Amino acid sequence: MKFEYREIPEGINVTKVHPLRELAVLLGGAVLIIVAVVYVLGLSAGFLASYIPFEMELKLASSFPVEEESNGEIDAYLARVNSQVIEAMALPEGMDITLRYSSADTVNAFATLGGNVMVFRGLLEKLPNENALAMLLAHEIAHVKHRDPIVSVTRGMTISAVLSFVLGQSDLGVLGDTGLYTLLHFNRDMERAADHEALETVYKIYGHTQGADELFRVLQAYREELGKDDGFEFLQSHPLDWKRINAIDSYADDNHLKNEGEPIPIPQSFFNAMKATIQSSDKKGK
Amino acid sequence: MFELIIFLVLMTLGYLVGQYAEKRHYKSIIERERKLKDLHTVASRFPPPGKRHEQCLVMGNTVISVDYFKRFIASLRNLFGGRITSYETLLDRARRESLLRMKEQAQEMGAEYVFNVKYETSSISKGQKNTIGSVEVLAYGTALMRPREEL
Repeated sequence: MKFEYREIPEGINVTKVHPLRELAVLLGGAVLIIVAVVYVLGLSAGFLASYIPFEMELKLASSFPVEEESNGEIDAYLARVNSQVIEAMALPEGMDITLRYSSADTVNAFATLGGNVMVFRGLLEKLPNENALAMLLAHEIAHVKHRDPIVSVTRGMTISAVLSFVLGQSDLGVLGDTGLYTLLHFNRDMERAADHEALETVYKIYGHTQGADELFRVLQAYREELGKDDGFEFLQSHPLDWKRINAIDSYADDNHLKNEGEPIPIPQSFFNAMKATIQSSDKKGK
Repeated sequence: MFELIIFLVLMTLGYLVGQYAEKRHYKSIIERERKLKDLHTVASRFPPPGKRHEQCLVMGNTVISVDYFKRFIASLRNLFGGRITSYETLLDRARRESLLRMKEQAQEMGAEYVFNVKYETSSISKGQKNTIGSVEVLAYGTALMRPREEL
């Protein structure tokens, strides 16, 4: 018996498709599908969440305890501006707003489940006038009125559940970010809607919108001071500051809202009272 | 964002290093296959009739793991289905490398043929949460050497 060596033809077990091409096709497909799925789920979860009764939201919120801070003069002033805002916004019955002041120097404010609105000293100190403060409170209360906190929570839970089910613990976890960035799209829509509602509220209270855009100028200046550049909008939960300023200015023009007037100053005693809360919280810290 | 940067770095490294290693490996495989072409490997269980040979078990063993790039493509394939071509190439390399190692061993022992050649594959490590996969490819056969008295 004779044996003979024959050379094996090359390339039969090796694909002719370039690996980068395969990656592009697969990755592109996966990203498109995730964006589409998250978008559809986000829309439907948001739609359904807005039917959750506010009382249920209140119950949900009461399970998270909040540290109360009581500051006579600050609370009184905030409550006065707040009640003007609430009256102008015509909130549905039973939708009560709980406004809380925090002496922390965070430059921020937020609305969360159960009509809870939190404002931080860091931001309040930077506000130039009462109109800007009214804009801030109206913006946060608009979130509550639009049911944004409960919608966001529902959306976030639905989408992260689906993404973790599909992508699991695999290397595809990085694709989950695609889903989260798609989700931010809804967030930015909420912010824009809240901005418009807040602007109309400021107009209703003062008869002009002077000072409203100053809130965003304050935030813009603060971000510049930190040296944070704007970055890409699709990576952020809020529209870019300059876009928000432009958007509310053109909204005011389109709806013929008078944009010039005399802004009302914030009383000096309010600033003094806030300063006092720094000292007292420092003492507490020590 | 930070996660994305790590991902991109790992993907680029995986791709570049993986491609380079693959090219080099195939070059060496083809070269060694030519060098060892006179040592015949046969799948048959029956040695050539008439001659009496000394026999010995020879084997070649390769353990391979995948790079990040290939694994990522494979996990995308897990979503869509289809051929995981990135693994196919890798396993092709492992099989040929194992056979070569077996032949090298047989050659050192002065074998004329290797009969009854077989392959075996087993997954030896799945790593934590199945993230790292390594596969062993074993090629083995019976080396037939000319009897000592004939030498």
